[in-house]
Amino acid sequence: MNRERRKVIRSIGAAGAATLGAPYLNLAHAQATPIPIGVALPLTGNAGAYGPDMAEAAKRTAEKINSAGGILGGRKLELYIEDSESSAAVAANLSHKFINVHKAQSLLGYWGTPEGMSSRPIAVQNKVVLMVSSAANAITEGDTQGYVWRFQMKATDWGTVISRATLKLGFRSVGVMGLQNAFVLPIQKVFEEQMKANGRKVVDSLIYNPEQPSYRAEVERVFGKKPDAVYCFGLLPDFVSIMKEVYRGGFESKVVALSIMADAEGKFVQAVGNKVAEGIRHFQPMPDVAAPGYKKFLKLMGAPADRVFLFPPNTHDQIAITALAMEKAKSPMAVDWSKQIVAVGNGPGQEVDDVVEALKLVRAGKPVNFQGAGSTCDFTPNGDQLGRGMGQWVIRNGKSEFVEYAKP
Amino acid sequence: MLQTAFNGVVTGVIMALPALAVTLLFGVLKFPNFAVGAMMTVAAYLAFALNAQLGWPLAAATVAAAVAMGALCIGIDQLTFRPLRERGAITLMVASLGLGFILENVARFAYGNTARSFAIELARPFRFADVRMNHEQMITIAVSSAAMIAMWVLLTRLPMGRAMRAVADNPSLALVRGIESPRVIRWTWFLAGVLLALGGVLIGMDRALEPPMGSNYLISVFGAAILGGLGSPLGAFVGALVIGVVSELSTLVIAPNYRIGIPLLAIAVILVFRPQGLFGQPYIRR
Amino acid sequence: MISFLILIGIVICFSAILALALNFQWGLGGMVNFGLTGFYALGAYSSALLMLKAGANTFVAALGAMAIVAAVCGLVAFVTLRVTEEDYFAIVTLGVGEMLRLVALNEDWLTKGALGLTGVPRPFGAAIPPQYYQYFLLALAMTLLLATLWFLGRLARSPFGRLVRAVREDDVVAATLGKNVLWVRVRIFAIGGAIIGLAGSLHGFYYQYIDPTQFSNIVIAYAFMAVIAGGRGAHRGAILGAAIVMLLLEGSRFLKDVIPALDSDRLAAIRVIMIGAGLILLLIYRPQGFFREYRLRADFK
Repeated sequence: MNRERRKVIRSIGAAGAATLGAPYLNLAHAQATPIPIGVALPLTGNAGAYGPDMAEAAKRTAEKINSAGGILGGRKLELYIEDSESSAAVAANLSHKFINVHKAQSLLGYWGTPEGMSSRPIAVQNKVVLMVSSAANAITEGDTQGYVWRFQMKATDWGTVISRATLKLGFRSVGVMGLQNAFVLPIQKVFEEQMKANGRKVVDSLIYNPEQPSYRAEVERVFGKKPDAVYCFGLLPDFVSIMKEVYRGGFESKVVALSIMADAEGKFVQAVGNKVAEGIRHFQPMPDVAAPGYKKFLKLMGAPADRVFLFPPNTHDQIAITALAMEKAKSPMAVDWSKQIVAVGNGPGQEVDDVVEALKLVRAGKPVNFQGAGSTCDFTPNGDQLGRGMGQWVIRNGKSEFVEYAKP
Repeated sequence: MLQTAFNGVVTGVIMALPALAVTLLFGVLKFPNFAVGAMMTVAAYLAFALNAQLGWPLAAATVAAAVAMGALCIGIDQLTFRPLRERGAITLMVASLGLGFILENVARFAYGNTARSFAIELARPFRFADVRMNHEQMITIAVSSAAMIAMWVLLTRLPMGRAMRAVADNPSLALVRGIESPRVIRWTWFLAGVLLALGGVLIGMDRALEPPMGSNYLISVFGAAILGGLGSPLGAFVGALVIGVVSELSTLVIAPNYRIGIPLLAIAVILVFRPQGLFGQPYIRR
Repeated sequence: MISFLILIGIVICFSAILALALNFQWGLGGMVNFGLTGFYALGAYSSALLMLKAGANTFVAALGAMAIVAAVCGLVAFVTLRVTEEDYFAIVTLGVGEMLRLVALNEDWLTKGALGLTGVPRPFGAAIPPQYYQYFLLALAMTLLLATLWFLGRLARSPFGRLVRAVREDDVVAATLGKNVLWVRVRIFAIGGAIIGLAGSLHGFYYQYIDPTQFSNIVIAYAFMAVIAGGRGAHRGAILGAAIVMLLLEGSRFLKDVIPALDSDRLAAIRVIMIGAGLILLLIYRPQGFFREYRLRADFK
């Protein structure tokens, strides 16, 4: 064997050993064995803007529970937070890693539809719980054996709420533009159906691709027909381009969008400026900001009282429900505690919105009905969430003004 | 329809600059450079840094970014392509692919994935002969045309331009006449860098700044350059306009989300009927 | 932990098969395929759709996918190379790859568009209990990898292999010797396409869910890196290259556990920069890779 090959094989051996050995290097904790929880969130990629705050919420919630003594007799929650890169394949690999390397029985986060879809069979096959924060209906369809739980409003419900609000706003003709994307399509379909069913004219409806060099032609086509309003469903980068085209073209139709495009924590207005953003209406499922559970969450995150967090409360709730269900089942294994999720979330029991308080009650054997930060955490048997509502805002002078909160 | 055609013209002039860069680089260096998209991205972000973060007016920021990009391109060539010069077009293409990944992700590393915009006022439209236009588009057309004319003057009148054409045609013969390839190559890269920077800023103005902004245009730009004839600057300009206009007009008949197929179709048609493009010369491999 | 390694092993296997295809098309045949990702998607979708829509079993579906991708690759090569130089070939493959991905994304009556295809069947999925399935899949993947390797090795040593190399080194000479250069190239590209189809099918069996976001540009970078690292033309090298690239990728995930200071957003960008830089450095300093291509020895007696 020549020298070259030996060198190569040695370096591969080293890389392989490092890969094998690395996880073992991290086990510094020698206390009561911590409970591993896998958290996959998009920190990069298309959805990279939404992940970091969700991760922060997860961390703080776990810290809060751990400093109050943890669960199951003093065991602390140990989070493994990884970047799903907004990709289905990466999320699937991460799910395998969480289950097989870190021995997690709870997979949380999973913001996007592809991530949820690819990880669902893995969770069900391995009998661990998957909690997603994505809207596409398909994720909870079929037999999930009680392992898949959605902490978000179902996509078709979005269409329903937006349509109802539209009817109230009195638009007689609408145009629709949607991004070629898994969660947009069901929303768009329901919305169009409802419009037609209520006698409103849909002047044009089209789908556009992400990453196109220009959206001029699409804007020209839909806005050119001069509907009362145009509904855009998509993501931030394409919406920035579209709105710039709309402004430059001098089109007058009102624009309605989703908050992940038109707000995105202020990044939209930052990118296009006040003039372009003026008058845009946006919707998003949101927590009930009047609820005490949400207010406590704001304090936990150290945020001002008027801050609206769209997704981070979901990760808080995912961790809380996991902890509560584990405590109630007196077991960290998903086969046991997955059956307790509905019990701790729906009740019947004492309504409590602080997870530490709730844990104390559960330990004392009292029934609880946990009210989360993002929603009341009431579930249907197949894993969908009830009781979520959507917020509606209008952008005026660069700021989003709250209009109303409505449920499907 | 006139409106759509005009929109196509605007799209076309935006593409003309990178198409020109591609054709220049191909003419002198003899390989299609797949990193041009990412180079536009980096230059646009350089301008962004000066404009939105340091408060320079966009025009000044663009000029500075263009010069910087030109110099950067020379450096990149020295590091990446010069050692591979003798290896043949395919190796150079693969290297340019890798380079494209590097540049795009440097931009991503520095600025993340969020869409950004230059700090300029957006234009409102005015009507002219039943067509809606705005002054931003006028500027785009003016800048692009000026750059074209400047290039044309350079290539036909100035000694460096003639030297570039000589090297493009036959490097060894050019050497006999005292024209040294390395110097010509440096100038070619500098010019390409300037053109790509201008193109990048125009794209940033037109759409938005985000890491994939340049690569999104890659196929259209190559389509334009091939249609016009690789190696012919006039061809690049005309090719870009044709592709721009046809792409926009095509949305009247086919679904808009497939209009990326137009440059591909153009490439296919050209390759079948007239491989040297509209204005190129039949390429004889030596 | 063992489970995780087995799963990574499966991923390495079908990535290696993809690298072998590129190695055959480019390393041996001299034809750059910048549309690799698109053809890979075509293979995965074809296999899944044959099973889901046409009710084929996994074996037939995989063969079908191989045939479809081979046909498309052959067609592209035929149409393009008949009329043009190789420089344009790369651009055309890039364009075709993009179109294939666009079709996958937009034609949702066929591919379910962005929602993707779920519940993709796997070979003997019903017969083998889930906790043992990964061992079976690994064995299957490795068998297919070795079979591909054997096949390509035989091909390289056969008269066709010599023809391929002759055409790559100097097609003018080959043409003057009466060889139909175009037909050789079409066959090379088509055979490579069949192997890509096989890799795509395995991809579907492993993930059981196919959506357009799985086929991004990075796949091409990894494949080229693997082939270059392994040594163009050297089949075993391509496999080793794929293993190295995949280990580096998955291994760098563990880096984050050990060095929490690295921001994930930046880490992802750094990873791609490393791949791109690695590509260029290998091309400059070690173009022959770490393994040598099988070279025919002329025996002088």
